[in-house]
Amino acid sequence: MNENMKRFNINSVRELGIFLAFVFILVTLMILSPNAFARPANLINILKQASINGILATGMMFVIISGGIDLSVGSIVALSGVVAASYAHPGEYPLIVPLILALAVGALVGLLNGAGVAYGGLPPFIITLGTMTIVRGVALIAANGQPVFNVTKEFEAAAGGFVLERVPNLVVYYVIITLVLAFVLTKTVFGRQVYAVGGNETAARVSGIHVDKIKLAVYTLSGFLAGVAGFLLASRIISGNPTSGQAYELDAIAAVVIGGVSMSGGSGKWYGTVIGALMIAIISNGLDILNVSSHFQLIIKGLIIIVAVLVDIKGKAKQ
Amino acid sequence: MKKRMMVFMAVFMVLALILTACQAPAPAATEAPAPEQPAATEAPAEPAAPAAAKYGLFMSHMTNAFTIEMSDAVKSKAAELGVDLTVFDGGQDPAKQAGQVETAVTQGISCIIIEPASVDGLVPAIENATKAGVPVVVVNQAISKPDAATSFVGVSNVDGGELEMKTAAEAMGGKGNVAFLLGPMGSDAELGRTEGYYNVLKNYPDIKVVFEQTANWKTDEALALVENWLQTGTQIDAIVANNDGMAMGALKAVEDAQLLDKIKVYGLDATPDALAAVKDGKLAATISQNTTPQGQKAMETCVNIVKGDTVDKTILLPFALITKENVGDYLK
Repeated sequence: MNENMKRFNINSVRELGIFLAFVFILVTLMILSPNAFARPANLINILKQASINGILATGMMFVIISGGIDLSVGSIVALSGVVAASYAHPGEYPLIVPLILALAVGALVGLLNGAGVAYGGLPPFIITLGTMTIVRGVALIAANGQPVFNVTKEFEAAAGGFVLERVPNLVVYYVIITLVLAFVLTKTVFGRQVYAVGGNETAARVSGIHVDKIKLAVYTLSGFLAGVAGFLLASRIISGNPTSGQAYELDAIAAVVIGGVSMSGGSGKWYGTVIGALMIAIISNGLDILNVSSHFQLIIKGLIIIVAVLVDIKGKAKQ
Repeated sequence: MKKRMMVFMAVFMVLALILTACQAPAPAATEAPAPEQPAATEAPAEPAAPAAAKYGLFMSHMTNAFTIEMSDAVKSKAAELGVDLTVFDGGQDPAKQAGQVETAVTQGISCIIIEPASVDGLVPAIENATKAGVPVVVVNQAISKPDAATSFVGVSNVDGGELEMKTAAEAMGGKGNVAFLLGPMGSDAELGRTEGYYNVLKNYPDIKVVFEQTANWKTDEALALVENWLQTGTQIDAIVANNDGMAMGALKAVEDAQLLDKIKVYGLDATPDALAAVKDGKLAATISQNTTPQGQKAMETCVNIVKGDTVDKTILLPFALITKENVGDYLK
């Protein structure tokens, strides 16, 4: 009991650190740019811009907690977006067709990744690096190297519309996906098994968990969510662009890591990932608004990732 | 277990291809002519006269709209001039293209037109050809050692940037605020096109650059960036983008903010989606690098060299401005 209390306190302190850093950046930007950054319209804009990366980060979080990594999500975004846009031309198919195809493409690539890791014995970094490259190639061939355009109004409204004329649809999707998967991660047997597999795979296996199935499931989930993100991005830019989504996997990993999920697996909180995704969007938005040169933006983003992981490691050492 | 993986892989590839192939027109990539057999437009069966000049067009590849337009232009000009032209497909492989050039030189070709697969990789083969007395006309993509070739026919990114900025500046009435969307920092096209913007701005002291950031040629990055600019409330009269991909992202942001009547967006490249947006009256203008005239000029130059005329070392062709008035000529 005592031990538990102590651990709880240290974890809280660590999470508090990330939260404080988040508030610090938010307040700094509000002071630097009170008339643009702090406006409610811009705060909604930030939420909108965080949504697609946030959805990818949610899937990435499951993969990283299970002890893996998924580099293929950016390419899946491109391919599923191209597939979706190809079936969204006016007067052809109802909106459900491009949606289902995009999700199926994402889940299928995810399943392939999961099979490679769970049954092929391939390191996650290698198999997802491979599919990242293959899927990008398939997207380029499928789209003939050009954006697929001329889509229906309904397709555009999927991401571009608003709820109650104020809240962008993208934000609503992100909130729903995050809450549902937060429940899955924290309140279900499956969620606890994901932590167990990432924490100590041998122990998990010995205690009767189907480790392979858990791995298959987390990569499929990550691929599926990348399919969702691809559909939404295509809707947002009203075209399926085979070169879109490049380096999205890095932003998703950054969000997860900034949020305090350990790269070695087995630990991490869902709300940390939400803060991580918001933090990335806030920094990009704030620096764009302050007209900071693109070169400096890269340096600042990199530094924030390093500091976040440093906090993570120091926190663990104390534990 | 490996079998299972292979099955997954196969199923996935097939599905992905089917899904898209039956929707979009079949990708030309899969139908590229077999590389070993150059598509001879006029089969050089038996040379009628021993002195008849033979011309070769060496394309880097034949898999996209640009390379196909280029080779068609050269072929049609060859037919018009009544000369014997053979087309070689380099399959995007510099080593293979170099081999094709070397073989052609040993077989006594009269003049070479090359759209190089690599700006560096083809330099030795081109040098060997000119040393052996075979003139070489490089088309579209300049090689890293321009002196190695006899002549270069193409366009200059600076000219393209100047035409784009001049169009925007005139539409703004010579005053107001402009924002630039740049390609990846330091790439040839980004540097050249942006240099063109600033060349024009020297003549327009009342135009102020309020934002200037890279969106790495990407539609999605440009969309988020312009959304953020618009949040600042800074007045922007025109957004000038280094390529059409970014212009399309900017256009979406402007349209979403219902500012289409206040902010004009300009692009460069004349991609199909940009042309459609120009036709709809959304994109103010895009710029074409005039692929067909480049190919025609290259063929003409080769023939002139063989005739013994002296030609310019660098032949730069103008870009074409595409607005709502003339977009019909470019839509196919």
